[in-house]
Amino acid sequence: MNPILSIQSINKFYGSIRALHQVSFEVPSGSVFGVLGPNGSGKTTLLGIVMNVLQASGGSYSWFGEQPSEKQRRKIGTLLETPNFYHYLSGERNLQIAAAIKGHGQEDIPRVLEMVKLSERKDSKFSTYSLGMKQRLAIASCLLGKPSVLVFDEPTNGLDPVGIAETRELIRELAKGGTTIVLASHLLDEVEKVCTHVAILQKGVLITAGDVNEVLMSEDLAELGAADTEKLRTILTAMPGVRQVKQSEQYLQVYLQNGTMNLSGINQYCFDNGIVLNHLQLRKRSLESKFMELTNK
Amino acid sequence: MLKLLKIEWLKVKNYRTFWILLVITIASIPGFNYGLYNLMDNSFPKFHGKSILGSPFAFPDVWQTVSWNATMLFLVPAILIITLTTNEFTYKTHRQNIIDGWSRQQFIGVKLFEVLLLSILCTLIVALTTLGFGYIGNKVPEGVSPWAESRFLFFYFVQMVSYSMIAFLLSMLIKRAGLAMGIFFIYMIFENVIVGILHNKYNIKAVEYLPEEVTDRLIPLPYGKALLNQGGLAAWESHIPYYLGGAAIYLLLYCLLTSRRFLKSDL
Repeated sequence: MNPILSIQSINKFYGSIRALHQVSFEVPSGSVFGVLGPNGSGKTTLLGIVMNVLQASGGSYSWFGEQPSEKQRRKIGTLLETPNFYHYLSGERNLQIAAAIKGHGQEDIPRVLEMVKLSERKDSKFSTYSLGMKQRLAIASCLLGKPSVLVFDEPTNGLDPVGIAETRELIRELAKGGTTIVLASHLLDEVEKVCTHVAILQKGVLITAGDVNEVLMSEDLAELGAADTEKLRTILTAMPGVRQVKQSEQYLQVYLQNGTMNLSGINQYCFDNGIVLNHLQLRKRSLESKFMELTNK
Repeated sequence: MLKLLKIEWLKVKNYRTFWILLVITIASIPGFNYGLYNLMDNSFPKFHGKSILGSPFAFPDVWQTVSWNATMLFLVPAILIITLTTNEFTYKTHRQNIIDGWSRQQFIGVKLFEVLLLSILCTLIVALTTLGFGYIGNKVPEGVSPWAESRFLFFYFVQMVSYSMIAFLLSMLIKRAGLAMGIFFIYMIFENVIVGILHNKYNIKAVEYLPEEVTDRLIPLPYGKALLNQGGLAAWESHIPYYLGGAAIYLLLYCLLTSRRFLKSDL
């Protein structure tokens, strides 16, 4: 199946500052594709380029397997950086403008306002909206005409915890319905919770891209303690399936190949090798530590 | 283009500032002319019942008079153009319009068309005001065609488009309303001062072709025509094609600069 978005060797310079360097990846159809990276990593710049508001210094991209054009953008709902609306107009009138540019009628406006719970405030001027309401109006604008592709740049910015949960639920619902979603975020748990694929950017360089379960795999690790720590380290290093043995404050941490964690097996192995464990605990490796490992390569 | 204009209409139809500035733009043309008409009628000495300034509000001179007076008011439509254009940058809606599905060409194209529409509207108001003064305020002098000298209406249009394009160019380059308005206003004064010094004092003719002066010269001062020497009028007449040519070159330049800037730069 053709990718929805294909990015090839995109470069972007702001004067002498390199914002993006040779970034390439593809967004598969039907995926929720996270673009993950710390602030200033180039996520918004990348999305700005593929939405034609920024000019790439080099490289190319294509939407739906075709050369980029405004017709394709009309089929994509995009929230880029901040909600951009006419402050002196009401929420509803702002959506009328967005719908007209996208080439849709106005019949879809009540539906999207209801989806983001802004129906009651549709006649209020945009300038009177709270930050969360502005964000929700931007999401409503993206949903106009039920686009097959959505591009969200930090969609939960400014939302309260309930709003964040609702937005994530909305993304999941839309993804279930077959909508392809590109989601830029610096929030690891957001990407982990809603994305099927991820690309990680750091300082404008693509670190890795692929299936979220492979890239952000939460490795299991066991924490072990014994009277003779050095002997324990020696036998654990020789144990089949062990990837790494690290010293934590009191104990040794053992990283095993994915899916091979078996605490009783470890206990038996140690006992057979003359070590009696005084501590054995399964721990989840934090997503943050995985991200730090990836971005510190 | 009609589709694009409909969307632009959605942007302004509920915008109070737009309506206030538009009403001032429209009302100021007949209003300012009426004020000057009263001033002429009441404040200048008369000779055999006629003003020493002649009959600037009667056909055919009324075309020149009303047009020249209206050129004094360019600041008002310029404020309207600057406000509407810089709003897009202030609210970043220029980005959103592109994201939502306009091409950059469509965005710049409809804005240029709006400048043209506003110029046509102001020219229409000038025409109606001229006809009002010519037919209602004064009797049509015998043997004079009401349409003689109506070419000043076209000169007004050229001047209006030119000033509006300068306002538009400044808005696109500066992107901030206050600064763009300030520079527009200061440049209007600055150019007049430069022309006053270099042209009148040092007789440097090239300053006639500065961006605003070249269109200003299309409509000479209408008052006291009888006092001007005929040689000066003939020289003006012979320079009209050059002034129009200069204006056309500047307009082309303004269009190229604004379009190129918007098409090529980051938004």
